[in-house]
Amino acid sequence: METQKEQPGVNTQNQANDIKADSGLIVLKNVTRKFPGAAGIVLDDITLSIEKGKTTVVIGPSGCGKTVLLKHMIVLQRPTLGEVFFKGRRIDNLDEEELNSVRAHFGYLFQGGALFDSLSVAENIMFPVKQHCRITRFSAVEELVRNKLRMVGLDGLQNFYPANLSGGQRKRVALARAIALDPEVILYDEPTTGLDPIRSDTINELILKLERELGVTSIAVTHDMKSAYKIADRIVMLHNGKIIADGNADYIHNHSDPVVQQFIKGEISKKELEQLQKTSASNSIHLPCDTRD
Amino acid sequence: MIGTATTGSIKRVGDIGQFGRFVWRSTVTSLHSITRPENYPLIWAQMLLIGVRSVPVIMITGAFVGMTLAVQAYDQLAGMGLEEHLGVLINISVVKELGPVLSAVMLAGRIGGALTAELGTMNVTEQIDAIESMGTDPVKYLVTPRVLACLLLTPVLIIYADLLGITGGWFVSVVQLNINAKAYWSFSASGVELWDVACGVIKGFFFGGAIAVISCYKGFHCREGARGVGQACTEAFVLSFILILVLDFALVVIFKSLYSIFWPLRSLV
Repeated sequence: METQKEQPGVNTQNQANDIKADSGLIVLKNVTRKFPGAAGIVLDDITLSIEKGKTTVVIGPSGCGKTVLLKHMIVLQRPTLGEVFFKGRRIDNLDEEELNSVRAHFGYLFQGGALFDSLSVAENIMFPVKQHCRITRFSAVEELVRNKLRMVGLDGLQNFYPANLSGGQRKRVALARAIALDPEVILYDEPTTGLDPIRSDTINELILKLERELGVTSIAVTHDMKSAYKIADRIVMLHNGKIIADGNADYIHNHSDPVVQQFIKGEISKKELEQLQKTSASNSIHLPCDTRD
Repeated sequence: MIGTATTGSIKRVGDIGQFGRFVWRSTVTSLHSITRPENYPLIWAQMLLIGVRSVPVIMITGAFVGMTLAVQAYDQLAGMGLEEHLGVLINISVVKELGPVLSAVMLAGRIGGALTAELGTMNVTEQIDAIESMGTDPVKYLVTPRVLACLLLTPVLIIYADLLGITGGWFVSVVQLNINAKAYWSFSASGVELWDVACGVIKGFFFGGAIAVISCYKGFHCREGARGVGQACTEAFVLSFILILVLDFALVVIFKSLYSIFWPLRSLV
């Protein structure tokens, strides 16, 4: 393991102002996202530059704004303050029509797959192709669908509907759909959540394969540290809407911040543990009714 | 207290503005889509679901409206010796008012609920985000075909309801209550004009558009979870129903004024 040192991707407040729009494939500059009500500020002055052809993994506790950050990269959500750039062009202020042409460069794997229930597996994968290409030969599209399904190990399921697939299969079909247009960037929202360890590893290998074979830039949001260490060229940790650590796997592994260490080790803090034990010991709550026979 | 009321008012104004933008976007994309043949398959598919599959319920609605009117009005008219005028009463009520309004209410329940539930579920399972992430406008892909199908087929469904209402009224009046068929149709023909039928059918465009836009809007903006989708369906039906009644009143006033302008003497008869 490397010793802890300053990483080129780490953004302190001073460095944030120095990041240029064309310093990475995707650049978020001082992005703040505020939601009305209890959610409040979810992203707090985030500055991040995503390098082309690399895999960046965003980690952090539930509700810290990881998915919101991912959605800002493709402008599915617009920042309250700040700017988003893709290939040096500002995209957060584009109208929907202009954004649609930018989004054709992206593939997005949603947490639950987000497959269209009313369409078959083949139709789901064909969807982005039909939207962006003038199809002259239907057999070529069928071949493309077969090829993408072969990549995710699901050839033969073309005529199945999402309801007939398992969670892992749905995720892999969603991945096949995300890569249908051979995108330059793939955004993964919790790619391994809800999958068994073997299926998780299959997804990890697929992400690595896409990086190797297609040279895609990947950004993955995950809680799964095993997956993060395996696929990441760079790991960014979000906490309370701010980036608190940013560097390669070794840097994150040896980070001195106790919040980072607690998260990567997946351990409850001593204070929280004490509180939990105290609460369960002193408040043995009885049901306010007679128990059934 | 005042602060809460102010915040509530601002939120409501914001919601109305958001709905206005949604209506505008739906209208613009619908006009754009109707000129593009590549969008027709999506529109045909919705026409089948929204229009063709609604025919049975619309026909049942129309038939029972006509039959009920005949049973209800017969005693009053027979008491005055005017039972042969029953045809005018039934047919004008069916084509001008009850056929269009009750068909629209039926459609708001059948189609509106289904549209809101479908789009609401797509919204909470991120399918709408998925469409957007693939560079496709979800309004154009999801809303436009539904709006166009409702807009074009509601008037056709109203014609079906009118036909069955007229048939139902004739069946009860002539076959069950033994009113002279020739007199029944003769009085009907003199009392019901093409204008009356046209008014009912034109209402269908407005009702269909209102049902589709409200249902799609509620589906697109529903809150998460089963409760959110359920609430959106209820709100969509209630709002559609109220808007149907408001539009009906407004259109009746407009049609009456137009009739007086074009046929000033006939309106006095």
